[in-house]
Amino acid sequence: MAHHHPHSPSRRRLLAGALGLGTLGALAPLRSAQAADFKALVCVFLYGGNDGMNSVVPMDAGRYADYARVRAGLALPQASLGRLGTSDFGLHPALAALNPLFAAGKLAVQFNVGPLQAPLTQAQYRADAGRTALTPPSLFSHSDQQVLWESASTDAQSRTGWGGRASAALGLASPVISVGGNGHFGLSELAAPLVLPGPGNGFGAAGLSSADVIWKSNALKLDAVKALAEQRADTDLAGAFQKQQLGAMALSEQLGPLVKRKPGEAGSNAAIDAAFAPLIANGNVSTGLGRQLYQAAKLLDVRATLGGNRQIYFAQLGGFDTHGEQIGADALSGQHAALLKQLGDALACFQAALTALGLAESVTTFTQSDFGRTFKPNNSNGTDHAWGNHHFVLGGAVKGGCHGRYPALAVGGPDDASMNSWDEQGRWIPTSSVDQYAATLLGWMGASAGQLDTILPNLANFGSARSLGFL
Amino acid sequence: MRLPRHPFMRRHAARAGALAMLLALLAGCGGGGGGGGSAAAPTSTPAATEPPPVAPAAPPMSQRDAVRLAAQASFGASEAMVTQMRTQSAAAWVQAQLQLPQASRYTAGGTSAVHTDTSGVGFCDQPANKGDQCWRDAFSSQPLLWDFYRNAVGQPDQLRQRVAFALQQILVVSNLEVEGTYGLRRYQNALLDHAFGNYRDVLRAVALSPVMGDYLNGVNNDKAAPNENFPRELLQLFAVGTCLLETDGSLKGGRCQATYDNTTVRNYAYALTGWTYPAGGKSKWGCAPKGANCRFYDGEMAPLASLHDGAERALLAGGRKAAGSTPAQALDAVLDSLLAHPNIAPFIGRQLIQALVRSNPTAGYVGRVSTAFQSGKFSSGGLSFGTGRAGDLAATVAAVLLDAEARGDASPGPSGGRLREPVLMMTGVLRALNGRTDGDALGWWWGEALRQHVFRSPSVFNFYPPDYPVPGTQLTGGAFGIHNANTSLERLNYLTYLLNWGGSDPVASVPGAVGTKVTLDAFDTDAADADKLVDRFALLAHGEPLPAGPRAKVVEAVAWWTDKTDAKTWRINRVRTAAYLVFAAPQYQIVR
Repeated sequence: MAHHHPHSPSRRRLLAGALGLGTLGALAPLRSAQAADFKALVCVFLYGGNDGMNSVVPMDAGRYADYARVRAGLALPQASLGRLGTSDFGLHPALAALNPLFAAGKLAVQFNVGPLQAPLTQAQYRADAGRTALTPPSLFSHSDQQVLWESASTDAQSRTGWGGRASAALGLASPVISVGGNGHFGLSELAAPLVLPGPGNGFGAAGLSSADVIWKSNALKLDAVKALAEQRADTDLAGAFQKQQLGAMALSEQLGPLVKRKPGEAGSNAAIDAAFAPLIANGNVSTGLGRQLYQAAKLLDVRATLGGNRQIYFAQLGGFDTHGEQIGADALSGQHAALLKQLGDALACFQAALTALGLAESVTTFTQSDFGRTFKPNNSNGTDHAWGNHHFVLGGAVKGGCHGRYPALAVGGPDDASMNSWDEQGRWIPTSSVDQYAATLLGWMGASAGQLDTILPNLANFGSARSLGFL
Repeated sequence: MRLPRHPFMRRHAARAGALAMLLALLAGCGGGGGGGGSAAAPTSTPAATEPPPVAPAAPPMSQRDAVRLAAQASFGASEAMVTQMRTQSAAAWVQAQLQLPQASRYTAGGTSAVHTDTSGVGFCDQPANKGDQCWRDAFSSQPLLWDFYRNAVGQPDQLRQRVAFALQQILVVSNLEVEGTYGLRRYQNALLDHAFGNYRDVLRAVALSPVMGDYLNGVNNDKAAPNENFPRELLQLFAVGTCLLETDGSLKGGRCQATYDNTTVRNYAYALTGWTYPAGGKSKWGCAPKGANCRFYDGEMAPLASLHDGAERALLAGGRKAAGSTPAQALDAVLDSLLAHPNIAPFIGRQLIQALVRSNPTAGYVGRVSTAFQSGKFSSGGLSFGTGRAGDLAATVAAVLLDAEARGDASPGPSGGRLREPVLMMTGVLRALNGRTDGDALGWWWGEALRQHVFRSPSVFNFYPPDYPVPGTQLTGGAFGIHNANTSLERLNYLTYLLNWGGSDPVASVPGAVGTKVTLDAFDTDAADADKLVDRFALLAHGEPLPAGPRAKVVEAVAWWTDKTDAKTWRINRVRTAAYLVFAAPQYQIVR
């Protein structure tokens, strides 16, 4: 397949004249009492379908042998795994940065979680044969499963995300704040997520900032832009566009300089910079996810700007669809290893930044992904689309440890979503649902039972099992 | 030429007649719209009380309709283009575009040498090739991006390029994961070549493309363990979609019923086994698996029978791959099954409407376009399009552009419009302002800033899904999937970049560089009259003047510049201000 060529052409950054010249007033940090009441969720979506089976691996003799036999060339050597405390499980060595967090009780692993309409056994799955809503739609389609995870629903046409719905139901001051592009997670019926760019990028309209409009020509220009954005829209799309433009102009006044600021620049938060130091080179955070979580840390630091004592964030890392060449010369190297290293290192730096900001107990970070991948590899040194997956939850409030039920490691066995002998690939029917996963996180945020049922339409199908116990 | 008797035509005629009267009344108010709409006059038998039908001398387009058509069928209107368009009806212009000899092609960038080297040393590591630009020129899509933008801004076969641009966002191959400029070039040229041909031929070219073969693991696909990546996306994205559809694009039975199951995907995977790279590639270490060719992109994939599945496999729409098939026979069976499936017409038709005209077409509109796709024929304005073979893209595209929902001066209604996606916004402003570009600034800089770096889609699902929901509405809005508070302001900054910062100067390392610049001279003639200047831009950008309230504010901002406030450059600054505000306006950013 294609060899990787990291591109680094000289990027011309927007040098927007007057932007950033001392317009950011000192925002008083929250007093500690308020900080104690503040809570935030940070979703890190792993696009493509992360191979959870190589992210968290059983280390007890019996299960490791099963794992190694089926995983064959893709199996990680037992000695390479980073044991999670005294548990029977270990992390892919590329996730080594997360081991200390587990030791400190700040990392939870949730086994075998995925979209479900209701609890589902193998017998029920086979009997249903995809006919009813019991089988979530388009199970092995990236786009549909991304929607199911991001919307915590079994409606692949859902127009909203569970982050957006939570934001609306809980009355948060800000829509979901995304440092990783639009996505589906932050959509609510009435509001789009607030999507902000990475460090070094301007966020503002050149020539129209408060510093610019001291010049009459610019002031009149701004008046005209506003008049155009405030005119009666003759299409609903124009109405949405105009509303977003007005909101963006207002927000860029407050956030532009902060968003743009890179590590080490004047006004930068030294504690955040120190926490991300392992990833900083030449004044830049060197990885994509690192840059996103760096921005999130900055925004959490000045959370009063976006307001409220509850906020929800979205970040993402792509490239996980490892159908081929998942590994390099051996299982320790290659594409999946590189991605996990980026993930683990960025999460660790982020957690360190939160600790430095006094927010370790207040922020919970969690992963999601399209689906897990087949336990049995394919013929291209990779894995294919599966279903239930293992995910990470991090933060000071977390009940560290392993949660949920690890699947029986038998291809075609009782946990396998196989219908015929030819499709026995080790795709696990989830034993925990996205709804329960989200409910655990939102319950910690303070959502009431009624609010949870509003936000998560299928939650009621899981009866009293509304929390997975990791928070 | 006898037009079909379709109830739609009669309603259309009545509406067109009324519209023509209304516009005639308004013409005296100084509105920009010209005389009658662009509706075709039918020759269907009229009802007793209707006046006798007018002979089908379809009238030339109004200003508004021409600008609208330019936004739908080209990379943006210029004054010269609109003047030419207004000598014709919409149907005549579309036909002229369909008949225009192909002018645009991808030619820039390296060769197959990247895949014929036997030294074992990486191509760009070799002394002869060392240099900053080796990867750019031999492996990346950057040379294609240069050609794309040069052609978009300068070549006359605008509609062909627009259709190819729509196709490349459905049948996606991305430089993020596939490298080899010469291969990417071949793939995109195929889309240009087939843009007015038949969709079956498009699918065939894509299925046999070694570039697609690498992108979705279709190359050297082995019957022993067939890779499902390409067959799954072929069904899901390139042909029929995941839910059964009615002809009008609505969900069959009112809910999503799966078009296919996993068994079907697997059957297509088996049917598509047995293809390797075309011959010509060389490698120090030979080629794997046994009998396969080395990686090579100059040509179609070649059959490799030893990898091909011998069993009979059931396909969609009653299709069947026969036992003992050859790879080519199996591919024919695959393509036939897809063209025979009732989903393909609405699935592809609807996306073409969304790519060219509006994000939320009515069911009726989708149905009419589906019919054109399925029948391979379409007629309008006394002209006939298509060859009568199912999958005819000329007929389908004509149906998209000449439908009543696409034409005319009136607002398309609350559910109308589409967000002018970043590529089209960037080219649109350049073309309107007599600009030029070599494309170089529109990739790593503006393409990335606006999240549409052409040829570098983040995945096979394109930069955005066609049905991305727009909060605060009940609608979907495609490019809204890459639009947010940040890009909202970046669109304004693009205008500032062109108008106030001089765009980009030519960069020496770009072959034939011209930079990215606009030329405002033509608009200087109206600089002294702020009202006239603003109206001139509005007529070009929106096809009609701005509404009174915002117009006054725009004129005020423009008129501030005088020889008293800016003795030397007040004229050019008036032009800049007027252009900025008119192109920043929602009337431009949302194509109506």
